[in-house]
Amino acid sequence: MKKRMSLLFVIMLMAVTVLAACSGGGTAEQPPSQGEQTEQPPAEGNGTETTEPPAEGGDESQGYFEATDPSLNPAAALNRKDTLIVGMTAPKGVFSPFYWQTAYDKFVVEAMFDSFFSIQGDGTYANRLAESVEVSEDKLKYTFKLKPGVTYSNGDPVTVKDYAFAMKVYHDSSYDGQTDMLSVNIKGGKEYNEGKATDISGIKVIDDNTIEIEVTEANAMTKDNLGTVSFVPESYYGKGYKQGNLEYMKELHAKPIGSGQYVLKSFSPGQEVVLEANPNYFLGAPKIKNVIYKTTTEETRLAMFQSGEIDMDMVTVNEDNVEALKEMGFLDINIFPTNGYGYVAMNHKDPKFQDPKVRQALIYGLNRAEVVEIIYGQYANVINIPQSSQSWAYTEEGIEPHEFDMEKAKQLLDEAGWAPGADGIREKDGKKFEIHFSATADNPVIDALIPVMTQNYQELGIKLTAETLDFNAIMDKKDKGEFEMFFAAWGLTPDPDSTVYITDGNQNDIGYSNPAYDAAMKKGLNAFDLEERKAAYAEAYRILNADVPDLPIYQRRDAWTINSRLNGIDITPYKTFAIDLYKAEIEQ
Amino acid sequence: MKQYIIRRLLQIIPTMIGISIIIFAISSLVPGDYITAVNNPTMTAEKAAQLRAIYGLDKPPVERYLTWVGNMLKGNLGDSLVHKQPVTTVMGNYVWNSFFIAFFSLILSWIIAIFAGVFSAKFQYSLFDKIVTLVIFLCMSLPSFFIGLLLIKFLALDLGWFPVGGMKTSGFNGNTWDQLVDIAWHMFMPVTVLTMLSTGGLTRYFRTSMLEVIRQDYIRTARAKGLKERTVIFKHALRNAMLPAITLMGFELPSLFGGAIILEKIFIWPGVGQVYLESISMRDYPFMLGFTVFISILTLLGNLLSDVLYGAADPRIRLK
Repeated sequence: MKKRMSLLFVIMLMAVTVLAACSGGGTAEQPPSQGEQTEQPPAEGNGTETTEPPAEGGDESQGYFEATDPSLNPAAALNRKDTLIVGMTAPKGVFSPFYWQTAYDKFVVEAMFDSFFSIQGDGTYANRLAESVEVSEDKLKYTFKLKPGVTYSNGDPVTVKDYAFAMKVYHDSSYDGQTDMLSVNIKGGKEYNEGKATDISGIKVIDDNTIEIEVTEANAMTKDNLGTVSFVPESYYGKGYKQGNLEYMKELHAKPIGSGQYVLKSFSPGQEVVLEANPNYFLGAPKIKNVIYKTTTEETRLAMFQSGEIDMDMVTVNEDNVEALKEMGFLDINIFPTNGYGYVAMNHKDPKFQDPKVRQALIYGLNRAEVVEIIYGQYANVINIPQSSQSWAYTEEGIEPHEFDMEKAKQLLDEAGWAPGADGIREKDGKKFEIHFSATADNPVIDALIPVMTQNYQELGIKLTAETLDFNAIMDKKDKGEFEMFFAAWGLTPDPDSTVYITDGNQNDIGYSNPAYDAAMKKGLNAFDLEERKAAYAEAYRILNADVPDLPIYQRRDAWTINSRLNGIDITPYKTFAIDLYKAEIEQ
Repeated sequence: MKQYIIRRLLQIIPTMIGISIIIFAISSLVPGDYITAVNNPTMTAEKAAQLRAIYGLDKPPVERYLTWVGNMLKGNLGDSLVHKQPVTTVMGNYVWNSFFIAFFSLILSWIIAIFAGVFSAKFQYSLFDKIVTLVIFLCMSLPSFFIGLLLIKFLALDLGWFPVGGMKTSGFNGNTWDQLVDIAWHMFMPVTVLTMLSTGGLTRYFRTSMLEVIRQDYIRTARAKGLKERTVIFKHALRNAMLPAITLMGFELPSLFGGAIILEKIFIWPGVGQVYLESISMRDYPFMLGFTVFISILTLLGNLLSDVLYGAADPRIRLK
């Protein structure tokens, strides 16, 4: 049985490799690499409890699947009594809370640095280094109190001066990390950025443990944006700091010092990151002494689990992988919905896509369920609003599921004035209904989507022609607005605020505009009560659902596979394993 | 000879200028830049503009080219955008790992190819020749990922003799010697696959040139003199058959440092190939351009080296 399985997986891996070997890697489906630590719902709100339900009955496509036979554990894994090995794509060595860019560098940063708040399983925030937070009546002044007696791993005490220093770095004109602290509107931040001031006037250090921050404009995310700035020792990171020159920081990326759960012992590029427990961690010394982040690749993850070389890793969720992992018997699998979604964009500057009836016809006339089934099997579902089913803002109330209905689609096109021509292709005002689809190369979604779409739309009387391009080329066309249709995926932030569909929004590449939607989103961002926000976003999603600005396709699954010898690893779509790593332990 | 080398070295300068213009032009004609490649969903337009200004991406291509070349002449290849480190540091981190496996597989494949080529030429159409031909064609035609995964399945998973991948055992602490043994143990499978791939072509090469030489009159003369067959083959024939191969040697120089993209992925070898590939898809131009320049210089030097070696080895060739 085992033999057959391994051979099967070798064959399957071959298929993966063929794809992986040719692709440039820059598909839209990469793990979110944004360095923005933004957007969280207010920590005081009662975020709904969303711990993963056990996978008994019902939905087999997500949940926590316990190992069936832990005794099958390979000796190599069992012999590692005090070491946890986490497999992942190679971190780049940018272990700085200011500059990290990949999700993997972030795992290192999360284990090594702390901030006032830390994220909870449901996407809300709770105090970590903060003892208390006070917000003024007008929401413009935020007073953070730091827990006393915390030290960095080099022995220096943690003070709010370090926080003020971190803010200066974020506001520096030479700062080229991804975090956009200027958009938080701290008073005096812009002046500091432009070099007109030597201090940020809105940040007042009251004593070593108290700091007051004043903003010029507040919204629901301000408090969390302020609370998630990592503490770094100014004595180390600030040595040699001159306003407008952060060049020296590059030297420190590979030699980080923080106040977090672990300290960096060594880093071998492309191979491993070795972390050691910080015995003086303020929440208690981590229970696992050594943690190693070991580089793995898509092709070898299953093999590394089987040989016991890794204890945890993120494996692409599809039927074959999950079956192979379950068959190994000694692995727990935590499958949860990916915090993101795949969609087909339409250019709203193109007259044919401006009619909502046409857009509705395009969604009714596309068998999305079939597309999703081909790509991910049961491990994805068709979505109807651009929000994760795990988010507090998610709603199904008043949402039309747009199920595949060719007749309805045809009828809608008829109503919109597109009449079938002699060759079966619909025409309006002498123009044929043709769609040029810009397709990313070597993307499994495209491979499934294009044939189904071509066939469906042909039946509908629309001619679809696909042109294959490199991902960056499509992104470039998108920025210039020179496209008709393309497929891409968005990663979602824990907070539902987004500029993707807002009129002239930063991420609104499709040129969609609806004042009612804009108003609902604005209401959601500026409300400070969670229920009020929920209602506003539900309204916004209903408008999108009726208007069909783009064709939402699927929300897929992510999974962490964890060796059953480990306990206390806490992972949700919002919270990575590294956040509360100090609680994890190895079963002896 | 000295004059020839100096002249060739001087010729490298205009060639490099041409190469740098071409690769820079290609990189700036390709749509997208680092900011679009990162595709940060929460980045504001102002922030993107700010970053482009910091990276100098907002300047016209000619100005960017001149800055880049100017810095390069001062020995500064710039900072990799993905790694946030100087390009030379990033190259130093990965290139040597690629060099190790490429170097060992080069030595192995040349030794194997020389012997296999000589003997299959000597015993042309014999059973040995047929088997060698079959095996090398098999090795040549199987894709590297296939052999790699097959080896992982049999040697690593079923037999457990070798690790699945990586360059060293995680959490392993030993003295220098133990660590070297550990690396050698991890190197076995990637080196094997790389050797299998490159031996095939080389063997064909040696076999053909050996066959040609063996039929020459002077070989017949040597035999007629009553020389031992071993002396005839290895001293008289092989040395002449090796001449064209010397040219190949020079061309191997860039591939020693270039990395093996697919193989590095399969065996999780921390080589430069994957980093280079990623720099292209991430539009990390400083690294991409820097590494391309590095490889082009090696190629040019390799060409020069093979010409010089050829002249030294074959008295019929006079370099002027």
